[in-house]
Amino acid sequence: MRKTALAMLASFTAVLLLAPALHAEDTYIHYLKNKQEPADCFESRDGYSNATRTEVEPGLPNVKCSNKTGGVLWWGDPFDGTEPMGEMPVEADYTREEAVVKPRTGQLKYYMPCTACHNGSMVPYPKNKNPRPLAMHQDIVPDSMNLQHGQGAIWCLDCHNARNRDTFIDHKGGEIGLNQPQRLCGKCHGEVYSDWRDGIHGKRIGSWEKGGKKRWWVCTECHNPHTVQERRFDPIAPEPRPQYPRTRANADHERGHGAGAGH
Amino acid sequence: MSEPRDKDEKKKDAPLKPDEASRREFLGGAGLSVTAAALSGAGALLSGSDEAEAKATWGEWFQKNYRLMTEDEKREAVLRLEKRYTEEFGKQTTVDSAPAKEGVLFGYALNIQKCIGCRRCVYACVKENNQSRDNPEIQWIRVLKMEKGNFLAGDMDKGYPDPAGIQVGGNAYKNSGVVLEGEHYYEPAEVPEKGYFYFPMQCMQCEKPPCVKVCPVRTTYRDPDGIVVIDYNWCIGCRMCIAACPYWARRFNWGEPNLPAEEMNPVTHYLGNRPRMKGVAEKCTFCLQRTRQGRYTACVEVCPVGARKFGNLLDPDSEVRKILEKKKVFRLKAELNTYPKFFYFMD
Repeated sequence: MRKTALAMLASFTAVLLLAPALHAEDTYIHYLKNKQEPADCFESRDGYSNATRTEVEPGLPNVKCSNKTGGVLWWGDPFDGTEPMGEMPVEADYTREEAVVKPRTGQLKYYMPCTACHNGSMVPYPKNKNPRPLAMHQDIVPDSMNLQHGQGAIWCLDCHNARNRDTFIDHKGGEIGLNQPQRLCGKCHGEVYSDWRDGIHGKRIGSWEKGGKKRWWVCTECHNPHTVQERRFDPIAPEPRPQYPRTRANADHERGHGAGAGH
Repeated sequence: MSEPRDKDEKKKDAPLKPDEASRREFLGGAGLSVTAAALSGAGALLSGSDEAEAKATWGEWFQKNYRLMTEDEKREAVLRLEKRYTEEFGKQTTVDSAPAKEGVLFGYALNIQKCIGCRRCVYACVKENNQSRDNPEIQWIRVLKMEKGNFLAGDMDKGYPDPAGIQVGGNAYKNSGVVLEGEHYYEPAEVPEKGYFYFPMQCMQCEKPPCVKVCPVRTTYRDPDGIVVIDYNWCIGCRMCIAACPYWARRFNWGEPNLPAEEMNPVTHYLGNRPRMKGVAEKCTFCLQRTRQGRYTACVEVCPVGARKFGNLLDPDSEVRKILEKKKVFRLKAELNTYPKFFYFMD
């Protein structure tokens, strides 16, 4: 009788001792202790707007990044590496406000600039805007005869300026800089553009105040206009889950609720 | 009471700010009152040591409720804390005491359709607000994974015990529509998962906060800019506020907070992200150390899909006001009449 009790006590103690080990390793504290904060981070999504971790002043990093995913978690200086947005969106009353953007040209894979090759002699200017197979850049548009954006209604040269490849071109032939994609996208996507202007769509960092300085995220910092149908947004890895309660080895207790539990 | 503490702290040769140094010279010449000297002596006796930190702790025990402090007393408390944190964490720490701005009522809006459940807001918040990293692990934001529901006409009254019931979207035995419980320990390789949506929750900064109503020592209260704040020094750890909060917004420091010095954010506010102690409640303050200086909250800045929006509800041009104007908006548990300042919206 006493033996059984002792055995029970022993096993109970063992369970208690094991309890901390039951916490699975995929927690924040694990990453904090075991992984270095990466020097190469990304802002919204990997490959869309990347950032390198440096110090803006001694002790103040420009960004703090996730040890797990490399996503930026915190901006020391929200305006690091930005330039004025240029022409402010029409209709909006932001005349008193300072708006900056991060130049897109620094993030583009092939920008050397574009006219280094597309200058009319090394690569001749296209004769018309009709779809044709591409000789290069298939990594951006795998199938140029079947461009996803616009579902067949538009093609590359409806947005990319054929005569000056360092710019976009709007439907009236006006040139738009590569750092102001919103002015191009807004020509068709008016409703979203309106929301973006009001700060409802998209993202801004800096000052919330009226008249305060803000960094605006532009369209292509989150959206890839070339892959809008398939792979509209690639899923991303989440940050670590919270630690389980002390006495739990898993989260089965919370699956006891809800529709999946088969009430 | 202030004089002897300063005299004692003078022994330590920590760097002093110019204004602090001159204040100390002035106080040094001013002489000590008998009661204050007696109290200070008792403090050293009780704490059993004459370290500056012990004395500073003693000083904290005897300060007033933050709301009743005079400007001088606030300044003194702030200086004492700055000195202590600077020593403790080995980096120059500032403790702000900026009051609410005139004409500002903070509001928050979250696009529930956009949230992908990546939890970056959770850790941006932790990095900004000096929460305990481990044992106890404290996070002010919880992201719930919720099943996408549907309303099937056939399920609406199936098996329901009373056909005259008023439940919407399902019945007592079978859920139909959105299930109301969520999971927050989810850890798939990638988010968002098909068939689910994500529902982040944090302090709603209620206009009629139940936590403020129940606090027996009135250490938690609502500032004029709408933020429900806590004077951690007056918190007695009774956890009534945690029980009263309908939004699971408050956390409790069950143990001594574990905040590594290299992780500590040295830009703090007295009512916000200054390091906490064991046995006090804490919660989201809309990053008041940032927002009262004009900056967006950490979670708004980090959200990779731009689902989080923040601004002044009294400014008709602000982002939140535009959302209230243009979008479909709801507040969580509006029927409780807590009047949250946190809005969920959809495109």
